[in-house]
Amino acid sequence: MGALRTPLTREQVLAQRDALPVFPRVIDDVLATLDDPDANVGDLVAHVGRDPVLAAQVFSIANSAASHTRRDGKVRDLYTATSMIGLARLRQTTIVTSLAGFLRGALPPGLSPGFWEHSAAAGVCARQVALHVHQPGDPALIAGLLHDIGQLWLFRFQPELFMEAWQVAVRREMTIDAAERERFGVDHAQIGAWLAESWDLPPPVCAAIRHHHAPDGALHEPLVAVLHVAEVLSNALDLGGSAPRVGYLSDAACEQLGLRWDESTESLFGRIDAVSHFISTYFRSHGVSEDVRA
Amino acid sequence: MTRNDDSTGAAAERKMRRQYLPFHEAAIGMVLAEPIRIMDRHVVRFTLPAGHELTDVNLRQLAAHGTEYVCIAVPDERSDEQVAADAAAAAARVMAIFEGADLSRPAMAALFERVLAYRSR
Repeated sequence: MGALRTPLTREQVLAQRDALPVFPRVIDDVLATLDDPDANVGDLVAHVGRDPVLAAQVFSIANSAASHTRRDGKVRDLYTATSMIGLARLRQTTIVTSLAGFLRGALPPGLSPGFWEHSAAAGVCARQVALHVHQPGDPALIAGLLHDIGQLWLFRFQPELFMEAWQVAVRREMTIDAAERERFGVDHAQIGAWLAESWDLPPPVCAAIRHHHAPDGALHEPLVAVLHVAEVLSNALDLGGSAPRVGYLSDAACEQLGLRWDESTESLFGRIDAVSHFISTYFRSHGVSEDVRA
Repeated sequence: MTRNDDSTGAAAERKMRRQYLPFHEAAIGMVLAEPIRIMDRHVVRFTLPAGHELTDVNLRQLAAHGTEYVCIAVPDERSDEQVAADAAAAAARVMAIFEGADLSRPAMAALFERVLAYRSR
């Protein structure tokens, strides 16, 4: 088994960060509108206007909504489009579009499409679990989409050792995070949290990424339990990823969220199935999966 | 005669199934299998009951509220044999995904049972 002589440090991880695309700052604008819906909406709409890909997506959703009405002609004005789809949908669209663009640019050649399918599925599950337990959906969506960003870093900058760890996990000899710790001294959850902190993402999002495989020591942060359960659910419901499997589910995290997995949770599964179609289709239609297959 | 009527009714009930659809696939005439309840900052803004048949007006209202999905009742055209085969295939897939899971843990066991029931339908 290969391994680094000394454990990876935060400084080493962040020194390589600049080789990744610039993290989309519009995420800050999105998060700023969460507590005060009137704050920064203008900034958010202005950003949409400067981003042709995002604007096209907003117009597409607005015109889809308009097809259910008796409006004449297509929606061509951004403020009309924004008012039609609503602030919540605008935030969700902005998060998915901007992070899909970021992830597309960060893709190392040869990474399995399953990586992004799993990230998209975890994002959907995290948002729906958060809404199910009456928590804000948007931070959960961001945490879900980025929860395995540490694996991307490892694949990009330590590809041989990471693939060795991945194969060990595929053979079910140990979990992926344990195999990573043997080789790098840290796991992808820690690396992902370092990256998230460096991008000034909110502490709850960073904590959720840091503890998504082992949440019990950090359940004082509600998003930790949400992301842990969501990541397990994305595998349990077979929503994407290469060879999804369920290994560990924290009893304490489920208890904290009040999830009893009775018949009432089947509507949660149904919502996840329906909505996952939206994000996975978006990722595929914007070349994230195609890029990694190339 | 009565028995036939009962059997027919039971068969008709058995042959409906729930389906969750992204909202853009919702259409006039679809029947809701679950109520719709749209909340905004803890205030109920819009409701429709289970069993309601969607109208053009409903679809416009739901679009205006940014609805993401609907749960509808759809006829199940599959034969009993096909239903059993589909359930068996789904169960095999779920068991493969949970192969390494510790089902002695309460939460894991409950999740496994619920996913198995959901996917086997």
